[in-house]
Amino acid sequence: MSGPLRVVGQSVRRLDALEKVTGRARYVTDLELPGMLHARLVRSPYAHARIVRVDTRAAAAVPSVRGVAAAGDLTGCDPYFGPAFRDRPMLAVDVVRYEGEPVVAVVADDEAAAQEAAALVDVDYEELPSVTTLEEALAPGAPLVHAGQPLAGHFADLSTLRAKPGTNICHQFDFARGRSAETLAAAPLTLEDTYTFPRVQHYSMEPHAAVAAWNEQGELTVWASTQNPYSVRVELAKMFGSPLSRIRVVVPLLGGGFGGKTYAKLEPIVSALARMTGRAVRLAISVEDAFRTVRRCDARVRVRLGFTRDGLLVAAECDADFDVGAYADIGPRIIQKGTYTATGPYRVPHLRLHSNAVYTNTTPGGAFRGFGVPQLAWGVESLLDEAARRLDRDPVDLRRQNLLAHGEEFAPGDTPVDGKFEESLNRAAQAIRWTQGAAADRGRGVAMMMKASIGPTVSEAMVRLHADGSATVLASTVEMGQGARTVMAQIAAEVLAIPVERVTVATPDTAITPYDQTTSSSRSTTMTGRAVQEAAADVRGQLLHVAARRLGVPAAQLRLEDGSVVGGAETLSYPDVLRERFGMGGGELIGRGIVAPGRSAAALGGSTPFWEMAVGAAEVALDAETGAITVEKYVSVADVGRCINPLLCEAQDEGAVMQGLGHTLLEEMRYDRGQLLNANLVDYRVPRAEDLPPALECHFVENADGAGPFGAKGAGEGSLVPVSPAIGNALTRLTGVRLRELPLTPERVWRALRARRPTKT
Amino acid sequence: MTLLRPFALDRPETLEEAAAVLTEHGGGAALYAGGTELLLLMKEGLVRVQRLVDVKRVRGLADIRAEDATVVIGATARHRAVEISALLRERCPLVAGVARHVANVRVRHVGTVGGNLAFADPHSDVATLFLALDAELVLWRRAGERRLSLGDFLLGAYETARRDDEILTGVRLHPWPAGTASAYLKFGVHERPTLGVALAVTPAGAGAPAAVRLSVGCVGPKPQRFPEIERQAARMGVAELAARAPALAQAAADAVETASDLHGAADYKRDMTRVFVRRAFEIVAARAAGEEPRARYPYTVIV
Amino acid sequence: MPDTRTPSSFRVALTVNARPVTLEVPAHALLLDVLRDRLGLKGAKRSCDIQVCGACTVLVDGAPVSACTFLAVEVDGCEVLTVEGLADGDRLDPLQEAFMQHGAVQCGFCTSGMLMSARALLNEDPSPTRERVAHYLRGNLCRCTGYRKLVDAIVACGNQGTT
Repeated sequence: MSGPLRVVGQSVRRLDALEKVTGRARYVTDLELPGMLHARLVRSPYAHARIVRVDTRAAAAVPSVRGVAAAGDLTGCDPYFGPAFRDRPMLAVDVVRYEGEPVVAVVADDEAAAQEAAALVDVDYEELPSVTTLEEALAPGAPLVHAGQPLAGHFADLSTLRAKPGTNICHQFDFARGRSAETLAAAPLTLEDTYTFPRVQHYSMEPHAAVAAWNEQGELTVWASTQNPYSVRVELAKMFGSPLSRIRVVVPLLGGGFGGKTYAKLEPIVSALARMTGRAVRLAISVEDAFRTVRRCDARVRVRLGFTRDGLLVAAECDADFDVGAYADIGPRIIQKGTYTATGPYRVPHLRLHSNAVYTNTTPGGAFRGFGVPQLAWGVESLLDEAARRLDRDPVDLRRQNLLAHGEEFAPGDTPVDGKFEESLNRAAQAIRWTQGAAADRGRGVAMMMKASIGPTVSEAMVRLHADGSATVLASTVEMGQGARTVMAQIAAEVLAIPVERVTVATPDTAITPYDQTTSSSRSTTMTGRAVQEAAADVRGQLLHVAARRLGVPAAQLRLEDGSVVGGAETLSYPDVLRERFGMGGGELIGRGIVAPGRSAAALGGSTPFWEMAVGAAEVALDAETGAITVEKYVSVADVGRCINPLLCEAQDEGAVMQGLGHTLLEEMRYDRGQLLNANLVDYRVPRAEDLPPALECHFVENADGAGPFGAKGAGEGSLVPVSPAIGNALTRLTGVRLRELPLTPERVWRALRARRPTKT
Repeated sequence: MTLLRPFALDRPETLEEAAAVLTEHGGGAALYAGGTELLLLMKEGLVRVQRLVDVKRVRGLADIRAEDATVVIGATARHRAVEISALLRERCPLVAGVARHVANVRVRHVGTVGGNLAFADPHSDVATLFLALDAELVLWRRAGERRLSLGDFLLGAYETARRDDEILTGVRLHPWPAGTASAYLKFGVHERPTLGVALAVTPAGAGAPAAVRLSVGCVGPKPQRFPEIERQAARMGVAELAARAPALAQAAADAVETASDLHGAADYKRDMTRVFVRRAFEIVAARAAGEEPRARYPYTVIV
Repeated sequence: MPDTRTPSSFRVALTVNARPVTLEVPAHALLLDVLRDRLGLKGAKRSCDIQVCGACTVLVDGAPVSACTFLAVEVDGCEVLTVEGLADGDRLDPLQEAFMQHGAVQCGFCTSGMLMSARALLNEDPSPTRERVAHYLRGNLCRCTGYRKLVDAIVACGNQGTT
């Protein structure tokens, strides 16, 4: 396609804006099905215990209760699910492995009855020794969260999972090149330190929810607040022994996801309850229960870096332990992704990276924006600044010296670096006025990151051009706020040369919208977007072909413009072309796009289709007496190839930065021996409007160098990652004190400052 | 989500009626006004209530009025009403000012002063400030009415001296004399304040000696006054107050009772007491000298 | 479905979005559930359920309340305004336009509550500063936008002097 872009690159209003501002937008919890029942889960109060006795008689006796089930009552299905290990039961089987694990389900005519009945369920437990920290879980002879080897799941990159038998390590990842041990030993400067990243929770404002119903033909439909309907579908098909064609997953709008709604969560139990009762069943959990459903994997990362006197980074070693909680969820992939790019955007000839996925008796850890990379970047980018200090080098300069170049290989067989790190770094440095020293009471810090998306993956899409020249896009990308549906409409509108208002994007529905692997890993614009682009191009090809035949000119002479085929003696509108094609005022042209890059020789078994890259620069002030950090200015630069919708990109990155601010300054899940103490919004502190830095800038580098449509790459996760090391580095430059633990709450900073000056009162 | 369990609701129009219901239903009945604390407890299953006694229709219970030198805030007056009360803005401007920062705007529109005090949440700006105003609570029951100082009313975290058959009808505040310089500082990163400091410095006037009132709250089970420090400080002029602020603050930190919770560890709260009492003295000394200090601190509200 | 076990039942007569409504509600019914389940007004959302996040914000006689922790019996004789009542037919409230224009909407789950709080703020203070807006929104959380565009939108509405 030649010529300037019409719709792509414009900040068109998002497709769902009007319904959201008028309160008409519908989420799973807004759905009402005739005869729908309401479910409640009874959860374990213990971190680790044997289930001795379950008494549901009083619960079952509550009027309008339609069913009460413990694990043994869910017959005719495999109770276990999980994308890496099928280790997680819908309802606990014999043993509970974390405080909050569902044990019994109650179904009733209304919420009140379900709540009342749930309170009457009586469960006797025998407490078992538990491990609720990495230290406890990794100690020799530690009690095991899972006895016996769990079963493997269904993804290519997770087809071999390496547990360490007899321990709580369920998977290990190694990546190495060169001779890191020798190089480190010989390096003029080596540094080593250990950093920890906290347990935090997504707090999507809409907690998880699902409605399930089986029809008379034994087909299951689930309306789910999920980011990957196709993953949920395959999970349900396995559990219930159904062909995929008889499982349908529909996804209306999500009230936030951030990774917490990837892979099956509530859908299995709701489906089982629907089958048990023969009715539609709805399960909408509370925010408190969302904290007991999924969280980010906390991690402890030991980093070693080796430099020459000139500042060349020659060797790196990382040993990371990730706490995946009681059930692995996608933890094994998280440790791979997080560790693979541990060294970020730098050229490091010798490295040894190792990470463990460790079970503990706590809320299962799962995907969360950044997917393991924030945990590693917190450590590596902090130690990098320490290296700068030791080498008496400017931290920006030291980074610049070691950056991978555009087009350079990251790892054999993997996608070459498809962005210009230096450009991003320079823009961030300029925006924060790095070379003009900070005021005496301010500190500045910078951090960079690089992240692989996932591969190989498959995205398919269809575009239907209707008889009146309007179009419908069928793609299973889920709308969770990021604006993906709008982006797909823009791509189709661009290719088809029609107004974006004439493009409808169908609700993701596995019965209707074709396969898309997942809405996560920042992949949708690139992968599903390309599928949509291809599908629209397929329609364009058909339009040109029919028009060419009718006009008697080669198709190459024709082009699409304003809903018509132009370039011949006559201009044919799309309705004209369809009438030509079908001989009547009906019919439609259907285009198809399939994006399925194959496996490569790269370490994770598949090329990432693009690298997500971002830089963060922070300027902070400190109230040293209280330890309170104020972020006065934050600059984010993301190299995204092309912003299909600049306003949406900026909105995403502002949100990413603030969410990063959350785990950097405010958020942590507090546990006391396996009991979660602050699973509510009074005691778990997420960012508020008042936390917005006075100056927040989100910049984009657009060199159209991505594999996605119009040169786009992915966005949405990258800008979150540098927040904690940038602020940590800024704090250190201001105070000379280095904190290795997040969040940097006032109290934590206060303690660190006092530890430095023991005589200060 | 949590729904409320069914309960009965009475809406008496007099205190006598309210008392009758309380007596008849004993421990199963609870007084209800704004519900911002009570309904939460009921949702969380921490209290089981069969009957709510809504006292919002009792005449006069929401009034904010002057009674000679005192200002009386009715128990069911909303925080919002306190915020915009012309009487309070004139007589107790700090009370109106602090009301603006209680919780969030929705709680301010619905929650009541009486409910706040009766709930005795340790993290209460209202209680902390009112202690410095020598607040007296008016407790009514059929046998009669009594007044209890706030200090005697608050026994500890979520614990008050209210008898089961008593109804809190109002709070009597003793506005500081004209010429008093004062400030309220509220610090905390969490949803509830980690610390609150109320400080009022009254210069010696016609027939009255100088007085200093210092209250520190939110750091322990209940807010505290510091009679010794107040006496010392009362003997100082404005300049000396500013100069001795660190020492006065250290004394407060030594004397304050703190408790660890999710909003801060005990030692941190103790040190923050030192920091913010000092800052309060600095601000009040400046105000006493006719200046408005421009210092701002993160996560700190200065009224 | 009406709960026939409730000891007390109350008749409430109110207006919702300027329309008269009469309902029988048990004492323990929460305003949020009555709005959503009995009146079909799904705009107000349940999120934190403890009055902190603001997703359930509606206006009762102009005052913002947390419908998740507000008894339905309290709205007898009141005017209740929900997000569905902000627009006048096809004419959107300037706040709704501003939210769309400034990119202040992402997942949308906080949007209803944000709009109602913003509407209450502008009714009280037609031209708020950024600081005032941020303070007023202390009780309205958003996990997607990072707040910048929300504050932009509300301030922009204010500067135009529209109410």
